[in-house]
This record gives sequence, C-alpha cells and structure tokens, in this order.
Amino acid sequence: MVRRDAIAAVATLALGAGAAVAASKLPFGGLRNPGPGFFPWWLGLVLLLLGAVLLGQALRNRASATGGAARPWKVVLLLAALAVYVLVLDAAGYAIATFLLVVFMLRGLEPHRWPLALTVAVVAAGGSYVLFAVWLGVPLPAGPLAR
Amino acid sequence: MDVLAGLASGFAIAFTPTNLLYCLLGSLVGTAIGVLPGLGPPATIALLLPVTYNIAPTSAVILLAGIFYGAMYGGSTTSILLNIPGEAASVVTCLDGYQMARQGRAGAALALSAFGSFIAGTLSIVGLMVLAPPLAAFALKFGAHENAALLILGLMMAGYLAGASMTKGLIMVALGLLLGTVGLDPIMGSPRFTFGVFKLSEGFEFVLVAMGLFGIGEVLANVEQSTAADVFKTRIRGLLPSREEWRQAAAPIARGSLLGFFIGVLPGGGAIIASFMSYALEKRLSRHPERFGKGAVEGVAGPESANNAAATGSFIPLLTLGIPGNASIAMIFAALMIHGVRPGPMLLSEKPEIFWGLVASMYLGNVMLLVLNLPLIGLWVKLLQVPYRLLAPFIVVFVAVGAYSINNSIFDVGTTVVFGLVGYLLRKLGFEPAPLVLAMILGPQLEASLRRALIYSRGDFMGFLERPIAATLLACAALMLLTPLIRRVLTRKFWQIVGPVAKPE
Repeated sequence: MVRRDAIAAVATLALGAGAAVAASKLPFGGLRNPGPGFFPWWLGLVLLLLGAVLLGQALRNRASATGGAARPWKVVLLLAALAVYVLVLDAAGYAIATFLLVVFMLRGLEPHRWPLALTVAVVAAGGSYVLFAVWLGVPLPAGPLAR
Repeated sequence: MDVLAGLASGFAIAFTPTNLLYCLLGSLVGTAIGVLPGLGPPATIALLLPVTYNIAPTSAVILLAGIFYGAMYGGSTTSILLNIPGEAASVVTCLDGYQMARQGRAGAALALSAFGSFIAGTLSIVGLMVLAPPLAAFALKFGAHENAALLILGLMMAGYLAGASMTKGLIMVALGLLLGTVGLDPIMGSPRFTFGVFKLSEGFEFVLVAMGLFGIGEVLANVEQSTAADVFKTRIRGLLPSREEWRQAAAPIARGSLLGFFIGVLPGGGAIIASFMSYALEKRLSRHPERFGKGAVEGVAGPESANNAAATGSFIPLLTLGIPGNASIAMIFAALMIHGVRPGPMLLSEKPEIFWGLVASMYLGNVMLLVLNLPLIGLWVKLLQVPYRLLAPFIVVFVAVGAYSINNSIFDVGTTVVFGLVGYLLRKLGFEPAPLVLAMILGPQLEASLRRALIYSRGDFMGFLERPIAATLLACAALMLLTPLIRRVLTRKFWQIVGPVAKPE
C-alpha cells in the first residue's frame, strides 16, 4: 500500500506542479475578471495540496504492500499490439488489421485453439464491419481489399 | 394534472415501434452485461455511444437508460449462481444469494431479486415523475453563483463516495477538471493547453476518454489475471418463491425501494452504496440477524430492490439540474450533449418529449426486464459460460471502430488506446476513474459559472455567501471535506452489522 500510494502521490504532485506552471503562462486576469489561466492555476494548486495529503497518508499508513500484476507481460504485449494496430490500420485496412488483432489476442495472449481464434476473429471483424461500415455508413479504412 | 398529460404524451412516444425496439434492445444488452462479470454499465454505454450518434435523441436516451437499469437486473444472477458480482451494485447480493442457491433456493432468490427490482424500479419512476418537474422549476431560478456552488457540491460528493479513499477521489475530480480545461476557454474562446496540436483545440473528445478509460482500461486490467468461473452446477428448480419467502421479502423490498431512491438522487450516491446500506438496514431490523450470510431472503430482496431504485433515482439530478451523479449517467449526459440537447432545468420545458418519453419507456423497460429475467433465466446462465477471454476482443474491436467512427480518424483510435493505458495505470494505483469522467464533463460548466459569478460580484467571494441557496450548497460541500471520518465509521459499522460473513470474492 505504502509504495503504491506514494507513487500515486508523487505523480499527483508532478501533475499539479505541471498544471500550475502551464497555467501561469496564460493570462490570469484577476478576481474581478478571471482569465483563461485562473481556473487551471487553482486546479494545479488543489492537485499539489491533495498530492501532499496523499503522500502524508501513504507514509503514515504503513499497511501491507499489495502484490503487483500477476501477468504484467500480457498487458505490455496487448498495448504493443494495440499500438501496432493503430499504426497499420490505414495501410492494412480495417477488416484485415482487426482480424489479425483478434487472432493475436486469442492465440498469442491466450492459449485458444486455432479454429476458435479464427472463428471469433472473423465474427468480430466481420460483424463490426457490417454494423459500422454497412449499416451506419462509417467510411472505415478499406486497405488493399478495396483495390 | 400536468403529470398525467405528460405521461400520456410519453407513452405515445415510447410505444412507437422504433422506441419499443430500442427499449427492448437496451433491456437485453443491459441484462447481458449485468450477467457478464468484467464489463460494467459505464463501459458498455461508452462503447455504444458512437452507435447512438445516428438515431434520434429520445431513442438514444431510451436505449442507454435501458442498459443502465437493465444491468441492475442482470447483476444479481452471477451473484446468486456464482458468488461473483456481475457488477459492483450486486456485491452484497452474493452474501445471502449464493447461500440460498447452495440450499437449492436459487430459483427463489433469482425470482425475488427480479420482482424486487421490478417493484423498486416502478416505484422509483413514479418518484422521478412526481419530483422532477418541481425540482426543475426550482433550479430554473439558479444563477451563476448557485450553479457553481451546486457543481462544487456534486463533484465533492462524487469524489467522496467513489472509492476507498476520499483523497484519491478528489484527485480524480481535480484531474478530470484539468482535462476539461484543454481546448477553448469557455468565456473568451481562446485556445489553451493544446501543445500545438490542432486537434486539441476543441478539447479532448469525452467519448474517446471514456471508451479508453472504461473499455480498454478494463480489458488491460483483466488480461493480467485469469478468472475461471465455475457455474453453479445444479439445475434451477422451483422458480417461484414460497409464500413464506414472499412474506419475508415484502418489507425489505419496500424499504429498499425507498432507501435506494433517495440515495440515488444524491450525486455520487448511486446503486452500490444503496445496496450496501439496504443490507445493513435489513440485518439491523431483523429479529434473527444470525440468519444473514446463511441465505436470508431479506439480504437478497432488500439490496436488489435498492440498487434498482437508486439507478432510477439518479436520473433526477441529471434531468433537473444537469448534474450526472455517476459514470453511467455521465455517459447518458454525453449522449444528450452530442445531440445538442442540454440536460438541466430547461430540458423539461424545452424538450418535454425526451423527459416523458424516457419516463414512459422506463415503465415499459421494467416490464420487459421482468419478463426477460424470469422465464429466460436459463439463457442468461448459458451466457455465463462465455469466458471473459473471448469477450475481451469484442470490447477492443468495438472501442476501436467506435472511436474511429466519431470523426473518421485513426488519430482518435490512438487517443483511446493512450487513455486505456491511463485507465489501467489509475486502477493499478488504486484510483477509481468514474469521478474523473464526471469532472471532465462538468469542468467547462463549473469554470464558466465560477468566472461569471466572480465577474458579477466584482471579485468578491462574499457573493456566494450572500445568496442563501449558494451558501447552503457550499456549506454542505465544506462539511463533506471535514468529515472523511464519518465514512470510515460507517464502513466499520457496516462490517460490524454484517458480521463475520466472508467477504465476496
């Protein structure tokens, strides 16, 4: 608990300081006529205050530490897959990119069998394509399939 | 007789084939996601927001509201059969519901929660119908000072009631307000915090943030742990409760409805707290408190009624004050804003068809849910056999295509993934993302009314204290700050009353 909350407190302090500094570059106005920087500056101050309170609480309650992620590599892999998905979405087209993403989630991240992974991928990619591109008329990236 | 005339017009709207279909769809989806653990109502509504862009605002609200209160029905199923809450508001139902199931009374437990939900839901709609118009008329008199004070109180309560730590809840509120300042200044219209990115000059798209935090964030938090659920193996026999069980359940249902409704009206209140308080209340009032945790009918009927009543009650601050009290309602708020409808005191006079259409559809939706939940219970139990691992790809795909469809932009999909990472990290650090989402959507309103109020009263903060309504609201907000202790005492009290029952999960 202590480490987790301490990290959260430090992050809050950093965000608060960042917000206050960024806001101070905007016109502050005054109490009679507050400008664009007025509200965010106060928010930065509030964040600094709350971060300090949380830090105090974290240092005071030295309760048992909580366990970390059970399978953190899975989170990293999924995030990487999502990043790749966003990058290739235009070039590969929606249907192909989505199909590959789902196959990866079921076959790469989880130990599902090929037939199940492929079936779910076809249903997910095809179903969402029909719903959004055909029914709702969203111009999804077509990719090489259209050419 | 304004109410009756309004209700009649509402039923005329709700009974059109399109709206009946959306109401049924909302009830179905709501029950399904209520049954499925790991996908909550705010995430589902966020996922479906892009779909509602193309339908009429009244239909959109009918659909999304149906998902929200439908989830309250479905949530009890997993609690009773699996000892796993399908969503957070059904956590306490596990305590006695699962015990009832183990004693062969699963059918009775499911039926009592469905009937309790139906009665509570219907009573609360009557409350909504009767209370909302006068409250909206009252709120019409609010000026900038009152609005600012009301928003401050609402956000304080949202932060206060959201999670385990008030400090963390308030940090989420402040962070959400800060996110809300990105884009154009609400008074001068000059850009700020855009970091040279042109797309940010209109601010962060709320839907993208919500889909990332709730959709992708939940998937990321779930992939790292494998949850294997064993569905309760025995067949569900005897769906109808015995006369004795009905007699025991009647008073808890009535009390749960009333308690839940009033807790639901409070900003940041909502279904979770309502169900916990109802459980504690029933155990306190019971002549045989030792039966609780061992399959007491009251411990199922009370909380399940309360969470439904609270879900309905939480529409009141949205429709009369324009303040969403919880994350699901915030999504419905966003859906209305996207359609150019501003929820608040003016809604009832300017767009009566939305208010009355929604109210009438809620009556219909509750009937549909009762029918969907009782005879079709076997179908929902089957749904439980779908593992989360198979559900996760569908959530991701829906988020991706939904995010893209808003502006036909791949950049938006990337934004959502980034907010998914943020949502994951927040969960890991013990933060609850709901207050952030609330604050983000209310931020521009708060800033505008705060600055206007200061301009009116020439920079004098006394302006707030000279107006009785604003002063009262601010005093309540200040009281909340001073009493984080009360909450700790209440929590301890709850577990004292509940006693040495094993916590669910």
